[in-house]
Amino acid sequence: MSEWVGVALFIMAGLAFGVVGIGVSFLVHPRSKNRYKLETYECGIPVEGSAWGRFKAQYFTFALIFVIFDVEVIYLYPWAVSFVQLGLAGLVKMFIFIFILVLGLWYAWKEGALEWK
Amino acid sequence: MVEFALNHAWLVPLLPALAFVIIVFLTQRWKRLSSLVSITAMLGSFVIASIIAYGVFTNHEFIEKSLVYSLKWFGMEGFNINVGVMLDPTSSMMLFMVSLVASLIQIYSTGYMKGDPQYSLFFAYLSLFGASMLGLIISSNLLQLFVMWELVGLCSYLLIGFYTFKVSAREAAKKAFMTTRIGDFGMLLGILFLQIKFGTLDLVELAAAIPMFEQFGVSLGLLTLIALLFFMGPVAKSGQFPLHVWLPDAMEGPTPVSALIHAATMVVAGVYLIGRTLFLYVQVPGAMEVVAAIGAFTALFAAAIAITQREIKRILAYSTVSQLGYMMLALGVGSLSASMFHLWTHAFFKALMFLAAGSVLHALHNKADVWDMGGLIKKMPITGWTFVVGGLAIAGIPPFAGFWSKDEILVVTMEYAKHGHALGYVLFGMAAFTAFLTAFYMWRMIFLTFFGKEKAENHPHESPWSMTAPLIVLAVMASIGGLIGTPWANIWGEWINFGEVHHAEPALGLMLLSVILALAGIGLAYTLYCKDGEKKTARKLAENYQSLYQLSYNKFYIDEVYAWFTQKIVDGTARVTYYFDIYFVDGIVNGIAAVTRGSGKGLRYLQTGSMQTYALVFFLAILVITVVLAFGSPSLASIMGGVK
Amino acid sequence: MNIDFSLITTEIALAILGLAIFTLGLIIPRSARKGLGNIALLGLIIVLGIAVYSWPNQGETLGGMYIVDHFSSFFKIVGLVAAILVVFGFRRYVAANVGNYLEYYSTIVFATLGMIVMISAGDFITLYLGLELMTISFIVLVAFRSFDVKSLEAGIKYLLLAGMSSAVLLYGLSLVYGATGTILFAEVAQSIIDGSGGLLLIIGLVMLIAGLGFKVSAAPFHMWSPDVYEGAPTSVTAFLATGSKAASFAILIRVFVGSLTGIQEHWVMLVAVLAALSMLIGNLIAIPQTNIKRMLAYSSVAQAGYIMVGIVAASQSGVKGVMFYSFIYVFATMGAFTVVAAVYNKIKSDEIADYAGLAQRAPLAATVLLVCMLSMAGIPLLAGFVGKFYLFMAIVDGYMWLVLLGLIMSMVSVYYYLRVVLVMFRDDPVDPTPLKMETSVTITLLIALGVTVFLGIYPGPLSEIANTAAQSFFTP
Repeated sequence: MSEWVGVALFIMAGLAFGVVGIGVSFLVHPRSKNRYKLETYECGIPVEGSAWGRFKAQYFTFALIFVIFDVEVIYLYPWAVSFVQLGLAGLVKMFIFIFILVLGLWYAWKEGALEWK
Repeated sequence: MVEFALNHAWLVPLLPALAFVIIVFLTQRWKRLSSLVSITAMLGSFVIASIIAYGVFTNHEFIEKSLVYSLKWFGMEGFNINVGVMLDPTSSMMLFMVSLVASLIQIYSTGYMKGDPQYSLFFAYLSLFGASMLGLIISSNLLQLFVMWELVGLCSYLLIGFYTFKVSAREAAKKAFMTTRIGDFGMLLGILFLQIKFGTLDLVELAAAIPMFEQFGVSLGLLTLIALLFFMGPVAKSGQFPLHVWLPDAMEGPTPVSALIHAATMVVAGVYLIGRTLFLYVQVPGAMEVVAAIGAFTALFAAAIAITQREIKRILAYSTVSQLGYMMLALGVGSLSASMFHLWTHAFFKALMFLAAGSVLHALHNKADVWDMGGLIKKMPITGWTFVVGGLAIAGIPPFAGFWSKDEILVVTMEYAKHGHALGYVLFGMAAFTAFLTAFYMWRMIFLTFFGKEKAENHPHESPWSMTAPLIVLAVMASIGGLIGTPWANIWGEWINFGEVHHAEPALGLMLLSVILALAGIGLAYTLYCKDGEKKTARKLAENYQSLYQLSYNKFYIDEVYAWFTQKIVDGTARVTYYFDIYFVDGIVNGIAAVTRGSGKGLRYLQTGSMQTYALVFFLAILVITVVLAFGSPSLASIMGGVK
Repeated sequence: MNIDFSLITTEIALAILGLAIFTLGLIIPRSARKGLGNIALLGLIIVLGIAVYSWPNQGETLGGMYIVDHFSSFFKIVGLVAAILVVFGFRRYVAANVGNYLEYYSTIVFATLGMIVMISAGDFITLYLGLELMTISFIVLVAFRSFDVKSLEAGIKYLLLAGMSSAVLLYGLSLVYGATGTILFAEVAQSIIDGSGGLLLIIGLVMLIAGLGFKVSAAPFHMWSPDVYEGAPTSVTAFLATGSKAASFAILIRVFVGSLTGIQEHWVMLVAVLAALSMLIGNLIAIPQTNIKRMLAYSSVAQAGYIMVGIVAASQSGVKGVMFYSFIYVFATMGAFTVVAAVYNKIKSDEIADYAGLAQRAPLAATVLLVCMLSMAGIPLLAGFVGKFYLFMAIVDGYMWLVLLGLIMSMVSVYYYLRVVLVMFRDDPVDPTPLKMETSVTITLLIALGVTVFLGIYPGPLSEIANTAAQSFFTP
């Protein structure tokens, strides 16, 4: 029975995390209403418009580079957890992995993908 | 070194084949280099072939057991085709002879073909010709042999028609190719029968299997049929009656080619092939008799034509046909050694005479009629005297080469007759009479060409060294080449034999007979064509026996008969089938083609270029397949084929 | 889980090569990157050497996820040979029409790596991993001429359609997993023998065929190939038609003949029908084509049909036929596309009409194109004839209709191949100046010519090797 208590606590904490955040922000935020404030993203691209609307292609490059590192963490985390069991071999493999990712970043950098033009 | 040569015998055909490739792809632009490549390769082959011959003839094991090695060419279950090398005394003798004659002919050609615009190509073809013949000789199975056989045919086509600007050469090339194709057709059927019935084409395996033919469910009748079908190939290739018609026309090619075809390569291939498969023929006495009869008849028939011909190369061509008849006769009476011996000596004296004739034509700017020549021996001593040596050899004057081999054939024919074959006496009579005729027509030609009065309009000159040197070498071989097969020291017979080693007592009576016949022939020719400066008797004879003369001069009208046959009957049938073909078969074919093309055009519109369509087709296909598989599969499977 | 590194040396070497090209390209100045082609070539030859050297190694590693036997080694060698020819024969073409050496050559190497991983796959995950590495690399390669609308169109089409087919394949894999409870091929086979199956498995099977049929461009999953073949850089087209196809056939055999044997009665007939459709559609639509790359694309659909015949046989002789044919097909196709690229380099056209008089302008190129096409049509004494002979002999009992169809369609194919030959040899060129071919092109052409002719005359040794490899597939 006791393990279910933990689960229940986890769910409650998770809910509280969201509710408290929104609640506090609702209480303390300044109340001013204008067009820009009502938009979904206050300082982003317009969310409505023709379906043929164009995006700057560089968004995708950024998104891709972001994904690289996002995915990296997914692997890094379990590795870090069982670091001791994996030992030296695990360390070497992870370095190879990181090296390959860094190579990608290096390439992106060198080809100028990180500069907003 | 001997070991190396024996184990690398495939180098012998490979070298000239490489020369062909090199000349065609690389050196064609440089004439002298091309001929150098070609000759070097052929001489290389000759050296290896000599070592092989030495190795085989110094090792007695090879008499009983051939040296065979092969590698798998391709195969399926229960059906393997090997390519390999088979060395025994017969094939090593042939390798030596062919590579020697081919080398000499190539050297000769450097002089003869000088200034020809297609000089390099000529040497390339010569190399390929030599390569295919050498490849044929060492073949260890019939399929490999057949491929080489066809290559030889192809090369002869290319070389006979080498002067493409001459209509007659083109026609002759076509005639040679098509006539030999008729024979090849029968031969291929024979080979197929052997494969189906005996399950192998390997010569050694066949030699072991055929004596037990009844165990393979083959009746004697079928075996006779196979042997006769198979014999069609050699009949055509070796110019035996009635498929000899292409051979005299083949002289339209450049003279070295004629020499190569007549002496060393193409025509002897047929004789060699029968020699190689003699184990098949000894099982079927009927087929043997056919071979012997055709051989003897061809010998006599061609000699009868040769006595009235006027063109120097044509006379030689018919003499080749006649001599090949001798070889076939020897095979037919069951003597491999006599046949191969005659093949050996014939190669030298016939190559010699063709090359000498080429030298004469070279000097007289292709004037070919012997009646327009005369007294050439004074201006062209080397050509003349070497030709005389050839003439003595072919006429059968001892101790020249031809005497021994021809005598051997007469001896074996006589023995055949004595062993209870009544036919043998007839054959012997024909062979003996042919010997007389041979001496006569050959010396008729020699007297008319080289002796007698010189003609004022001719300005002959001796040919260059490149041409005369091969003549001298060949003359030496034609003089002494027969000494290895005399009845007193029959080295030859010990080596090349089939079955029991033949130890005949020197048949002095027969020897005397053949010498007398030869001398009589020469004497008659002398009286008619040399002593009598005006040749009055000769002309009178021709007039008195006009009909006979015409018959012989027109080659017994065989060509005309064939022409009539092809024009009336074949063309008539062809015309009927032609209309059938145009209106019926073509209608169907064109219909199918139109439907095919149309469906291609129609189906093309499926390819819209729009990706949505592609995706739709993709998913529709999955859907349809799933539905069919899930609900209708058993019935569909039964229609489309069984599952193993 | 221990990894037996000796079994995967080829893969490791190839991965190192790809990364090395990449790293080196980043270090050296942009102007020196052209030399990466030579490094790729040299590296690939070394890797090929390693692959040939490790031929005797056989075994499984990673708990059965990775299978190394003669069968996989054979296809790896085929893939590497294709990669080498692509890198070597198209050097000038790449320099003149593609550029971006760093990306190009490393992507070629990664595509090869994908193929090799896929060939050796022992379970569905490895299969998918290799397949995706290969496919994604090819998507990049197809769209490489980013200044060319056709290439971009081809790239987008390939991206979307390949993505779609991958999705279908993945769905099929998961269905098979659902039906059998395992992803290892060997265990799937056992599970089917033990009785698992049913509709779920059948649907999974269809989706597997669809997904892999897409890769080998078998009708009706072929529709992408003409557009993509035409638009992609010719070097990439050649690689797509040879390496990618051969690798996909290898895995097709591994999955169907090796693993789904238990439900043969369902797929043998299906593959036979797809083979027949591919021969029909490929050969018939090839007839009216005017662009040589499109024509070769359809012909490659037809070739896929012939090769699938060997899978229908589902026997050792059938697998042997597929291996033999894949090998010779690489050379014939490479020869043809090398000519296409070399000619494009000079006359900037892929239209068949512009090949008029090529025999006079570039005799070697015309001869090689002739020989390669005749080999694909199956004319005797060329390798293609022997290959078809092996393939069709394998199914002669039981599928006579397919043999007949194959023969008829081979005859049809002679028609459109000879149309090109006629234009090259009979017509007079508009501009008779000779086209000078670079040495690398000449050598590639001679290799293609030599192999095609040699294996046609003397197929024995390769046939033996393929037979051994096929044997190792059935009795590991």
